[in-house]
Amino acid sequence: MATKIKRTLLYIALTLLAICCMIPFALMIINATRTGSEIANSFSLVPGKALADNWATLSSYFDLFKGMRNSLIVAIPATLLTAYFSAMTAYAMTVYKFKGNKLLFGVIVVFMMIPGQLSLIGFYDLVTNLRLVNSYLPLILPSIAVPGTVFFLRQYCETVLPMPLLEAARMDGASELHIFHKIVLPILSPGIATMSIGAFIGNWNSYLIPLILLNSPDKFTLPVMIASLNSSTDIMRNQGAIYLAVAISVIPILIAFAFCSKYIIGSITAGGVKE
Amino acid sequence: MRARKISAMLMAGAMVLSLTACGGGTDKTTEAAKTEEPAATEVKTEATTEAKTKEAAEEETDAEGNKIAVAGNQDAEQKLVIWTLSNDLKQFAGHYCENHPDVQIETVVIAPADYPTKVQAAMRGRQAEPDIIVGEPQMLETMYEAGYFEDLNQEPYNAQDYADQEVDYAWQIGQDADGIQRAITYQITPAGVFYRRDIAEKVFGTSDPEEIGKLFADYDTIKTTGQTLKDAGYKIFASEGEMNYWAGDSAWVVDGKLNVDQDRKDYMDLCVYLYQNDMTAYVDAWSTTWYNAMAGEIPVIDADTSVWDDAAMAEAEKSGNTTEVFAYGLPTWGTLVMRDNVKDLSGQWGVCSGPSYGFGGGTYIGISALSENKDLAWDFLKSTTLDADTLNWWVDVSEGDVVSFLPVLEQHKDDENQVYGGEKLYDFFLKQAEGIDTSRITKYDEPLKKAWGEAITAIKTGTMDEESAISNFYDVVESTYPELTVER
Repeated sequence: MATKIKRTLLYIALTLLAICCMIPFALMIINATRTGSEIANSFSLVPGKALADNWATLSSYFDLFKGMRNSLIVAIPATLLTAYFSAMTAYAMTVYKFKGNKLLFGVIVVFMMIPGQLSLIGFYDLVTNLRLVNSYLPLILPSIAVPGTVFFLRQYCETVLPMPLLEAARMDGASELHIFHKIVLPILSPGIATMSIGAFIGNWNSYLIPLILLNSPDKFTLPVMIASLNSSTDIMRNQGAIYLAVAISVIPILIAFAFCSKYIIGSITAGGVKE
Repeated sequence: MRARKISAMLMAGAMVLSLTACGGGTDKTTEAAKTEEPAATEVKTEATTEAKTKEAAEEETDAEGNKIAVAGNQDAEQKLVIWTLSNDLKQFAGHYCENHPDVQIETVVIAPADYPTKVQAAMRGRQAEPDIIVGEPQMLETMYEAGYFEDLNQEPYNAQDYADQEVDYAWQIGQDADGIQRAITYQITPAGVFYRRDIAEKVFGTSDPEEIGKLFADYDTIKTTGQTLKDAGYKIFASEGEMNYWAGDSAWVVDGKLNVDQDRKDYMDLCVYLYQNDMTAYVDAWSTTWYNAMAGEIPVIDADTSVWDDAAMAEAEKSGNTTEVFAYGLPTWGTLVMRDNVKDLSGQWGVCSGPSYGFGGGTYIGISALSENKDLAWDFLKSTTLDADTLNWWVDVSEGDVVSFLPVLEQHKDDENQVYGGEKLYDFFLKQAEGIDTSRITKYDEPLKKAWGEAITAIKTGTMDEESAISNFYDVVESTYPELTVER
């Protein structure tokens, strides 16, 4: 009886928490169906009737799917690069013993603490001198070196990578790259997937750097496009459209998350060595 | 294998996305078609039917103009790039290209908060793009000092020749500290007091703008007016900050010294007085109830009720006490905000003068000093700001934006605005604009105004007494702008 009451209470508490987490999302979706003045005038959980109007407003300003495409062109390669190269760096730093390893790690930790906005102007100057303004390359290539991900994966390597397995592979004559691709990557995949979610969301939502670096509206990524709705003269009417745009732009993140979280859970149970 | 799996799934995800993208694409046309239906069914009287369909038609054309980032013929020889912070210029660009088939114009709209950063980065990189940049009054001084704008007084522009065709104050804001013309605007934005004619008739026996203007002639009179309205069961304002466009008759900064004169303190007193004597609806400007009050009755709430809280609002409504708000203080573009929110009270509003002369906002257009298409840019600038045909077109398209070009203002002098009881608003705002003194604009205005507003909030809600709130304000200024001398 006592456990039953306890469990009921627990479930009530968890349900409440779940509702708290869902309400902002629900509000976003509901507001996407209401007019700007309705949103300003009252707070409601009942969907409105302005979805079509909002869509018309939205598509009168820009092509949302073009923005989505642009964002994907940036976010997918950037995420893949982050995942692959960070794993490689982390693996090397854990397994190989070389001079300056500790120092390198220290440098990585220090760089982790510098906020990106700080180096914005220097980065812009660099990009201008390389004549890469208004191109996606400066948005994608820097993701090869992400200190935060390397830091996380290095710690992860230390805990999950069984040295005997690597030694066995080496004895069987596998090349170093082969070992990394065939043995290390699969073992690290849960960690990589976790970091990839973060990297994908970060790239997808990135606003300031694309805003500064991209000049032609055709190349704008989604967040930059959506922000331009704010600058119209008729801000009130656009509120609903902004909500709609944001609601739609969340979909790829949901897909990425659904896919990656399944992967994490699946891989945590499947280790490389049976102990 | 795993890596291949990942990429396979990513591809699948991308495919799913592009599928939804296509699905959305086909929906677009049907949904766009649907939008016209509610517009047609909602209307009640014939007059509004006409207005609505006209509006819908205009919206459609606007929409088309907005969507295209590049206006004009894609193969056109000459190309102009505009970076702007409001959508207006996109429409102007479309209009310009209609008359100039050999030109294409790319308009990039950037959110106002990030606009200075974006322009600064491009200028640092010494980029030839954009050709045309814009600024709002509070950004301009910094942009002039940094040398972003081309000198428009020199050959071949000779902007000074047009000085007498523009409203003085708007012309002067376009000049840098040395009086050199750097930017020109197409609109003026003087502020007026928007008031309810029916309430005025009941309480004061007249709804004449001249007479009502006298009730807002100075801060003390406003206090008395507020009391009269309170006795009659109305609130003078929705928020106590409605007079902020007329706050202070002197510059915030004089010769590098912070200047807080008696008028600022009087304005502070006024806000606190209105709030503490129950003369406002206790809401913030641009909040829910603030908008609702434009259309009539709103529930009476006290200072502790949060207007964002549904339950508390429902309770306040249940008490059955409602009140109505008499007046708002807004710049020219407020006429459009009001028009969209007054609902049944259309025609019951009027506009009169405030305690002094004030203005808010405005987009000023200039040529980038690094542009390689300066001649074309100047031609566009001239046609947008100094051309009677374009500006007449703009008056129609914008449905009542007040332009800064005097010949066009003269032409529309007798236009009557039915939302405001047939008042001749162009004439009214022109008179307001004549009184504006631009010498008190500084680049510090916006942040200082905000900090002063925070001090007022602290005093009116009783979290700080006047002395400590003001001293707190001085602290904020000193730490934010070390270059300013602060005399306490």
